[in-house]
Amino acid sequence: MIINPETRKRWQRFKSLRRGYFSLLLMGAMIFASLFAELWINNRALLVVHQGHIYLPTYGDFLPGTTFGENYDWETNYRALAEKIKIEKNGDFILMPLIPYNPFENDFIEGEYPPYAPSAHNKHYLGTDTSGRDILARLVYGFRIAILFSLFLLAISYTAGISIGALMGYFGGKFDLITQRIIEILSNIPGLYVIMIIASIVTPSFWSLALLLAAFSWMGLTWYMRTETYREVNREYVTAAHSLGASHLRIITHHILPNTIAILITFFPFSVAAGITALTSLDYLGFGLPAPTPSWGELLQQGTDNLEYQWITASAVTALSLVLILVNFIGEAVREAFDPKTHTFYE
Amino acid sequence: MRYIGLLLLVISSLVNAAALPKNLKWESNNSAPLWASPAAEKGGTFTDFILSFPPTLRVVGPDSNSSFRGFINANQLSLTSFHPNTLEILPELATEWAYGKDNKTVYYHLDKNARWSDGVPVTADDYLFTMTFMRSKFINAPWYNNYYTEQIVNVTKYDDYTISVTGAVARPKEELHYYYGLQPTPKHFHTLDDNWVKNYNWKIEPNTGPYQITDVKNGKEIIFERKENWWAKDNRYFKNRFNVDRVVIKVIRDMNIAYKYFEKGEIDTFNMLQPDLWHDKAKGRLYDSGYIEKFVFYNDAPRSSSGFFLNMNDPTLADQNVRSALAYALNFDKVTQTVLRNDYERLEQFHSGYGEYSNPDIKPKPFDLNLANQLLDTAGWTTRNGEGIREKNGKPLTLTITYGNKEHTDRLVVLRQDARKAGIDIELQLLDPSAQYKTIMQKQHQIAMLGWSTGFRPDYWQHFHSANAHKPQTNNVTNTDDKEMDKMISDYDTETSREKRIALAHQLEQKIMVMGAFIPSWKTTYTRGAHWRWIHLPDVPGTKTGDSLYSVFGDGLLWIDKKDKIDTMAARKNQGSKNPVTKVFEQYKVK
Repeated sequence: MIINPETRKRWQRFKSLRRGYFSLLLMGAMIFASLFAELWINNRALLVVHQGHIYLPTYGDFLPGTTFGENYDWETNYRALAEKIKIEKNGDFILMPLIPYNPFENDFIEGEYPPYAPSAHNKHYLGTDTSGRDILARLVYGFRIAILFSLFLLAISYTAGISIGALMGYFGGKFDLITQRIIEILSNIPGLYVIMIIASIVTPSFWSLALLLAAFSWMGLTWYMRTETYREVNREYVTAAHSLGASHLRIITHHILPNTIAILITFFPFSVAAGITALTSLDYLGFGLPAPTPSWGELLQQGTDNLEYQWITASAVTALSLVLILVNFIGEAVREAFDPKTHTFYE
Repeated sequence: MRYIGLLLLVISSLVNAAALPKNLKWESNNSAPLWASPAAEKGGTFTDFILSFPPTLRVVGPDSNSSFRGFINANQLSLTSFHPNTLEILPELATEWAYGKDNKTVYYHLDKNARWSDGVPVTADDYLFTMTFMRSKFINAPWYNNYYTEQIVNVTKYDDYTISVTGAVARPKEELHYYYGLQPTPKHFHTLDDNWVKNYNWKIEPNTGPYQITDVKNGKEIIFERKENWWAKDNRYFKNRFNVDRVVIKVIRDMNIAYKYFEKGEIDTFNMLQPDLWHDKAKGRLYDSGYIEKFVFYNDAPRSSSGFFLNMNDPTLADQNVRSALAYALNFDKVTQTVLRNDYERLEQFHSGYGEYSNPDIKPKPFDLNLANQLLDTAGWTTRNGEGIREKNGKPLTLTITYGNKEHTDRLVVLRQDARKAGIDIELQLLDPSAQYKTIMQKQHQIAMLGWSTGFRPDYWQHFHSANAHKPQTNNVTNTDDKEMDKMISDYDTETSREKRIALAHQLEQKIMVMGAFIPSWKTTYTRGAHWRWIHLPDVPGTKTGDSLYSVFGDGLLWIDKKDKIDTMAARKNQGSKNPVTKVFEQYKVK
C-alpha cells in the first residue's frame, strides 16, 4: 500500500502529539476489549471439562443443563456448576470469565434488596443496578452498543452529507440554490424532539434509531463539503480531467474527494462523541433503545432517580466523562495534525 | 316570548306535580357507628401538593379530568353516601329514602337545611337541572351525556323537597345508590350556551360541602377555606370531621422536590406507597427523633385489576396451553421479594377485594417451569433455537409486552429472565402512556400490562363479553369471545338476588382464571405515609375502604395541633428527645 507522503507527515505529526496519540491507543484498546466482552464478562463459562468432554460455551448455541448432568433443559447456570465442581472434585474443570455475569441477568442476594453496593466478594466490582444487574457488565456492553451505534450513524450521515455537499459544490447553480434552501428548512427542525415524539409512539430499534438520528444530522457537513468542492472545482486539475473526458462521478470521487477529505477527518472524532451523547441522552429520557438493552443513559437515569446509591451515578458519569475526554483529546490532535500551518504567529 | 316561557313553566310544573306512590317504606340511618375522633380540634392550615396546575376548574367538559378534580368533587355532596367501614347507606343531602317496586327507582326526601355556598337553598330543581346539564351538548362531555341518558333515565320532582331517581336496569338496593346516586347542580349559577366551556373555565361553582375555593394563584397554588357556618356542620356523621381552617394545594412539579418541601415542614403529610420513598428516602434525623411519624394502614377495598392481558386474536396466544404456560413461567414471587421489597402481594383474581363477590377459592398460577415446559411441548413448541428459545415451524416463541410506566421496567426484566428458561422470549415495549392506551384500544398489542380502576361491584360485561371483542375502543382487551361466558355475564347483569349474583360472580372468576387471558400481577393491601407530628389522627386513623390517611376533604379525619406545630418548627433543627414512630394498623387487614 502506497501512503501519500502528505498523509505520512500528518500521521507523524499526530504521533508526536502525545496526549492525542495515547488517547487513541487507549480508546482503541477499549473498543477492542468491548468487542470481545463475551470472553471476560459473561455468565457462560470459557471452558468446561465434563466427564472427559471439552466444551467452549462462550460463542455458539446454548448448552442445556442436561449436558452437564443437571436436571433442567434450559441454559446451564455456570456459576452454580462451578460451585458444584469445586465441592465435588470429580476431575471436572470449569473456567469462568473474570466477571461471571452477563448484562441481562438479575443476581439477587438472599434477604437483601437491590441495588447492591460494589463488592469484590460477589464479583460485582461496580455494584448492581436497581434490578440486580452487574453495572460493570452493563457499562461495557453499553459502551459497545454506543460506539457501534455512533459509527453506524456516522457512516450514514457522512455518506449523505458528503455526497450531497459535493454535488452542490460541483454543479452549483439552481441545484445548489434549491438544495441549500431545503437544508436550511431541515436544519430548523428540532431533531431530538421529533425523535422523542416518534419514539414515544413506536419503540425504536438499533437500526431505526440510527437512521432517524442520521436523518437530522447529515446537514451540517454539507456546508463544509460544498465550499471545499466549490474551491476545488475551479482548479486546473479538474479542468484537465474534464478535457480528458472523465465523467462527473469520476471527477468527484477520484479527484475532488481525496483533496477535500482532510477537513472532514478533523470532524470525525467529534461526530463520534456527538453520536454517543445523542444515544445516551435519548436513553436517559427513556426514548432510546428498548429495555433491557444495556445503556449508559438508562444507568444515568437510574442514578439520578436514586441519588442515595452513589455507585450507580458515579460509574455512569465516570465512564461517560472518560470516553468524551478521550475522544476530544483525539479530535484536538487530529485537528492540529491536519493543520497546514506548522507554526502560527500571533501579532 | 316571556308569556311562552311562563306557559312552559306552568305546563312543566303541572307535569312535574306527579303523585308520590303510596305505601313507600321510608328509611333513614341515624344510628350507624361514628368514625371521627371527638378529640379533634378545629383550626390551622394544611398544605398539600399536586404535580401540575389544573387546566380548568370545571368538573365536566374538555380537560376536566385532572387530579385536581378530586379536590373539587370531594366538596360536592350526594344524596346519600356509604359508611366507609360498614358500607351502610348514610344520609347526606337526602334525609330519607325509599325504594320503588321496579328495583330501579329510589325516592328521596331532601334536607331542607341544605344550602349552596352562596346561601341559596338546594331544592329539587337543582336535581332536575343536573339531568338537563349532564345531557346538554354545551358541556362537551359525551361520556356524561350518555351516562345521564342511558344509565340514569329519569328524575321526577314531587315537591320542592321530594324527588325520585330512576335507572335503566334493576339492581340490588345498595347498587341503586351507587350507580344512580345523584349530585345537585346549582341551577342559578349556570347559563348553558355555546360558550359554556369557555366562560366557566375559571368560575368557582357553588358547592354543598365543607370547603370552598377562596383563592386561585395561577400556576402556583389554590386555597380552600372552611365554611364558617356550613349547613351540615352539626349533622351526626360530619361532626369532628373537616377540622382544618385553610387548605393550601401547592403546585410542585416533581415528586423528589415535593419530598424536600415535606422535609422542610412546608408540606404536612406525604403518601409513600412507592418502595424507594418509604425505605430509602424516609429516614434520618427527622424520623429518628420523632419529628416525622410513619403510618401503615391496611385497608379492605376492591383492588385494581392489574396484570397482563393477553390478546387472543394473536395466533400464538389463541392457544390456551401457551397462555397457561406463560402464566407458569412468570416468577412474580421473585420480583416481589427483590425489586418490590416484599411491599406488594400477588393479586389473586380479576376482582380481588370485592368482599363476598370475590371468589375465595381462586389462587393465581404459581411459578412452575416444569409445568410451563410440559404445556409448551403439548402446544407444539418443541424445539429450541441456539439461544434456548422455543420454536414452532421455524418461528421463535417471542411475545411482546406493551407497557406505559418506566417504573415497571425493573419488574419486567426480572420476569423476562426466568421466562427464558421456559423457552419464551419476552420483548419489552415501553410506550408513552397515551400511546400505550391508544395501542391497546386499537387491540394492536400482544400482551398489555395495565391495571383497571376499581368499581363498587365486579363488572364483567365491558371486559369479557363478546359484544366488545374484536373491535377497537372497548375494554375487552383480551378479545374474549366465548358463548358460555356471554350467557353467564348477562345472567349476572340482570340478576337482582344478591346470593345468586355472588354465585355467578364466583363462577365467572373461575372461568376467567381457566381461560388464562388475564394473568394477575400485584396488589397493595394498605396505604402508608408519613406526617409531621403536629398532625393528629383518630385512634383508628383510617377507614376500611380509605385509600389515603391524609385526605382533608373526603374523610377529613385529621386535625392540627397549632402549638405543637410552633414548637416542632422551632426545635426541628436540634436533636429531638423522642423516639422514632412507625405505627402499623391491622384492623382491616385481610387475612
